[in-house]
Amino acid sequence: MNENRFCSAARGCRWRVIATVWALGLALVSWSSSAPGQVTTSGLRAQQRTITFRGEVSGILTKRGCNSSECHGGVKGRGGFKLSLDAIDPRDDYGWIVEGGGYQVLSPESLKPIEPRVDLEEPTRSLLLLKPTETVPHEGGLRLESGSADYRTILDWIRGGAPYGDATPVHVERIEVSPRRAALAPDATHPLLVTAHFSDGGQRDITDQVRYESLRPEVVKVSAGGSVQAIDKGESTVLVRAVGHLATAQFRVTDNPVADFPEIGRINFIDEHVLDKLKAFHLAPSQLSVDSEFLRRVCLDLTGTVPPPDRVRQFLSDNAPDKRNRLVEILLDSPEYNEFWTFRFADLFRVGGGYGWVHLYWEWVRESVAHNKPYDQMAREIIAAQGYNGPSRVYLLRDNKPVLMERVVAEQFRLFMGRRLDCAQCHNHPFDRWSQNQFWGLAAFYGGMTNTEWFGDNVVFDDENGHEVNFGEQGEELSFRQAIHPRTSQKVAPRFPDGRLLTESERRDPRAALAAWMSSHSYFAEAAVNRIWGYFFGRGIVNPVDDFRLANPPSHPALLRALADDFVEHRYDLKHLMRRIVQSRIYQLSSTPNETNRDDTVNYSHAQPRRMEAEVLLDAISSATGVPEVFEKEGADQGTPPPGTRAINLKHPATFSSRFLEVYGRPLRFVVPERDDRASLSQALHMLVGSTYTEKLTGKGGRIDQLLGSTATNREVIEELYLATLCRPPSEDEADDLERVIEARPERAAAIADLMWALVCSREFADNH
Amino acid sequence: MRQPHVTMDNGIGFPRRSLLQVGALSFLGINLSEQLRASAMADDGAEQRGKAKACILLWLNGGPSQADTWDPKPHSSFKPIATNVEGIQVSELLPRLSRHMDKLSIVRSMSTPENNHGVAHHYAMTGHRPSPAMKFPSFGSIITRETGPRRNVPPFVLIPKASAGLEDYFRAHFLGAQYDPLSVPDPSVEDFRIPDLRLPESLTVKHLEDRRTMLELVDRLYRRKVQSAEYANMDTFRQQALNMLLSTAVRDAFDLSGESDRTRDAYGRTTFGQSVLVARRLVEAGSRFVTVLDLKREGTGRDWDTHGKNDSQHRDHLCPELDQGAAALLTELDERGLLESTVVLAMGEFGRTYDFNARGGRDHWCHAWSLALGGGGIRGGQVVGASDQRGAYVTDRRVSIGDLYATLYKAFGIDWTKEYLHPIGRPLKIANSNNDETGLPIEELVRV
Repeated sequence: MNENRFCSAARGCRWRVIATVWALGLALVSWSSSAPGQVTTSGLRAQQRTITFRGEVSGILTKRGCNSSECHGGVKGRGGFKLSLDAIDPRDDYGWIVEGGGYQVLSPESLKPIEPRVDLEEPTRSLLLLKPTETVPHEGGLRLESGSADYRTILDWIRGGAPYGDATPVHVERIEVSPRRAALAPDATHPLLVTAHFSDGGQRDITDQVRYESLRPEVVKVSAGGSVQAIDKGESTVLVRAVGHLATAQFRVTDNPVADFPEIGRINFIDEHVLDKLKAFHLAPSQLSVDSEFLRRVCLDLTGTVPPPDRVRQFLSDNAPDKRNRLVEILLDSPEYNEFWTFRFADLFRVGGGYGWVHLYWEWVRESVAHNKPYDQMAREIIAAQGYNGPSRVYLLRDNKPVLMERVVAEQFRLFMGRRLDCAQCHNHPFDRWSQNQFWGLAAFYGGMTNTEWFGDNVVFDDENGHEVNFGEQGEELSFRQAIHPRTSQKVAPRFPDGRLLTESERRDPRAALAAWMSSHSYFAEAAVNRIWGYFFGRGIVNPVDDFRLANPPSHPALLRALADDFVEHRYDLKHLMRRIVQSRIYQLSSTPNETNRDDTVNYSHAQPRRMEAEVLLDAISSATGVPEVFEKEGADQGTPPPGTRAINLKHPATFSSRFLEVYGRPLRFVVPERDDRASLSQALHMLVGSTYTEKLTGKGGRIDQLLGSTATNREVIEELYLATLCRPPSEDEADDLERVIEARPERAAAIADLMWALVCSREFADNH
Repeated sequence: MRQPHVTMDNGIGFPRRSLLQVGALSFLGINLSEQLRASAMADDGAEQRGKAKACILLWLNGGPSQADTWDPKPHSSFKPIATNVEGIQVSELLPRLSRHMDKLSIVRSMSTPENNHGVAHHYAMTGHRPSPAMKFPSFGSIITRETGPRRNVPPFVLIPKASAGLEDYFRAHFLGAQYDPLSVPDPSVEDFRIPDLRLPESLTVKHLEDRRTMLELVDRLYRRKVQSAEYANMDTFRQQALNMLLSTAVRDAFDLSGESDRTRDAYGRTTFGQSVLVARRLVEAGSRFVTVLDLKREGTGRDWDTHGKNDSQHRDHLCPELDQGAAALLTELDERGLLESTVVLAMGEFGRTYDFNARGGRDHWCHAWSLALGGGGIRGGQVVGASDQRGAYVTDRRVSIGDLYATLYKAFGIDWTKEYLHPIGRPLKIANSNNDETGLPIEELVRV
């Protein structure tokens, strides 16, 4: 079918050739000739059973979208009727239907009226049928046609006494969608096949029993029968929802098939995974980056530092074939690596707050980075921190007393497991499978945290009757901490998400047990590699990097798995992971796009420019201008760090007054940082008249000062400034034009200062690309 | 999946036309304050909705004692006095404001769930308790966003500058940096200057043009390669920044030298007084939301958080400045015809206890407290709700923060039932009240 599409659009025979090749490529992932519906044993068995809620009815509710998050599957349900999202809690759903009532967020009481939604006396008068058929008004409109097969199934179920149907020995273990990814020509259609895999090894085609949703319906649409239709160029994920299960497939619509996919060298498994997908999606990778491009990028990514002109010249003139790998090793062993990753982890682990003891925490981060401490060990040291050691400080940052357990659990789960549990604090997660009970079971691990002082040096430890020390009317006061389920008001014991309670010995140190569980979970390594990957590519394989969710699938699932396995195999060695990444061919691709991949932002077909962090950008300006920044500390403990201190070396940049850092956005480290890298009016104003872009450019003893005092020609000055900022020599055209502009100006010094201004204001400078 | 209800546009869209108009007017020799006034009253075109066009928040940081200000009680050391509205009494510590009660209304039944500064401040600014994984926009940012900017003037301003932690409560967060407040230094200081809003002497317009030529040359190659939306945004911002720098309106709005000594004296020559005066000038020039921060002052120890010496603090330091500055503001807004379109709101994050502690102080109290508001179409001369004999608990008409927001939004013509969708997928009510309900406007204050 795709072949025809392209032939009709063809403008010559060359097109036909490409189209044929492309169709062949598609055929590898296509299965369209095979007829869906091969029935296996468990499928047959299912048909002979009586109709039950678990067997059939919850599936119909899922397929018809009744339990989607927009309808009754939303947090509070709709119109007083609540169902669990994709029927993940069928027992609850069954209760709401046969007993009636509705869910309330803040109370375990059922919402009134409590009337069954099935009528066993007169089954056709059941609300469950009257509503979706719009026999009575239904806000959700017509969802079920009277007399349809699904209607009759539900009716028969009610007639049969509306049984729940006990868990059968045979259940669906997973569902699989095929193809998992494919490229489509515009207007092409492509059928999906969805297979349920049963616990007894059987399989069944359930293509027409599931619900489909395209995340970008403007790119592809999916019919109720599972036929994907290409609408417009772009990429979209299709979600396939079945009872308690979700699968995804990715589609790219393109009118520009790649006939000759360039076979470029593959250095490691990263290249295999990324190139395979690029090939399937008809995206040709960009060229290998040129040396100057690679040098600047890898220096910024590994050390947060722009290399000085001499270093650039040296690297560009080096002819050794392994010079890139050698450079990587030098950078990984450099003091700048330690400084930069201390800065990044201090950001991530929230080394902040105004207490004097916070430097202990910073020292711990620095120590951990400098010794390349295994990442799982770092995590365990934070999660289980006790006493007065560095990481224990994270629990006291805000008010010098243990942070609320519901906050810390959400934060640490997000940080180390890449998942956002927050929603589940107050109700089951609306878009994921996290329940409120799981949330509070996890929060209870932090429920024993106790501090010793209300002021000054404070120690944290765990106690079965956790309490915090405050200062109140009568002096020192103790208030007790307990994990209380907000809906049931019952005390909650620490409990792992799979339901396991702590053993006798684990109960002595619940956070140590939690730390061990978290750091060995498969989520942990995946979240870690995804986060680090995100730093190097500007985008996580799951993006945002800490938003792993069923409906937010990874762009490269197998790559994510492979990176995680490799990370675990190498004992959570961060330097190893970074080395893998920067040595890959994919990381070293140019940021210059080609005709096929210009619009691609998610498949790593070319390097994506990203903005430097505020602190890194300020340091880059200082090094380019040769004028160090002087930082002044605000508030009670005023002071100035030694001259030449870089912004990334400040223990807590937010405590120093700096207009620059303010307008470019530095995190306060109150929450897991979310840097805002969008442009703003304040930045534009600062660039025009702010001190960083005026006085600093020509500061005494700086680069311009020195160049003006030397015998350097305008041409030489231009080259030097280019190397100091963009790490590349200017092109002939650039040099010619700039030379002309400078010579036309009456004042040479002012003209050269303006060139420096333009260079540090340019996006090429402010981006890491 | 769900789509956001709000579009995350980046452009602010200052009309360039207004810059030209301002330029032309000054050329004709009309004096600036008239010009500012004319522009502040000018029709805002299609977006004419509520009466309110701007809001001045007097933020009494630390929480004032309701019994010693708006809700006089027998246990206060200060007597109640009559006001220019029959039947309304306030503390004798507010003599000037007592003559403006026709312009102001008092809410005596504020009740909020948080009793500690940080969380209560966050709650008062956002209607939410802090969450570890998301940040909430302040109601100032929401009003700024919903009303849109006027002329080239910074739409949201915070005076004077405070610590990064405190300023964080006022920020827009996921709504975008363009709705963050611009914070400016203490205007009572001799060489009061706004960072990044003035062309240095060394930079002429010609020079800016030279720089731009240079930037275009340097940027040429990279621009060809990378065509991101951020580029277009930065270009727009750069143009706006240039307009702001070249427009006299912005510079003059911050320039107190245009005000007579008499006017400056009327507001009080203090950080608070002069900040209120700048707020008035900014609103005239076009700002949407100006927050005057009345923070703890070193030296006298002036501080609304009166855990010690509650009475002398209120009598000698706190109330006199508030009384003077706020009364001068109401007088001037009224005289200049701006009161109709400008909401004035005076509040802290909570109130204070009905009894004294051992240090003669009053501690935090969030269960019943008071605030005052008026202007911008909000009816004056009303008392909303009541507290019990001690001023400890609400006896009538409990008002939540969400109700306060809904009242303000209604005054602005903003739909207070609106929800934003946070990037993590959580819907946020812009007027979030207790128990996850939407706040309701205080009808007696904003009945149309």
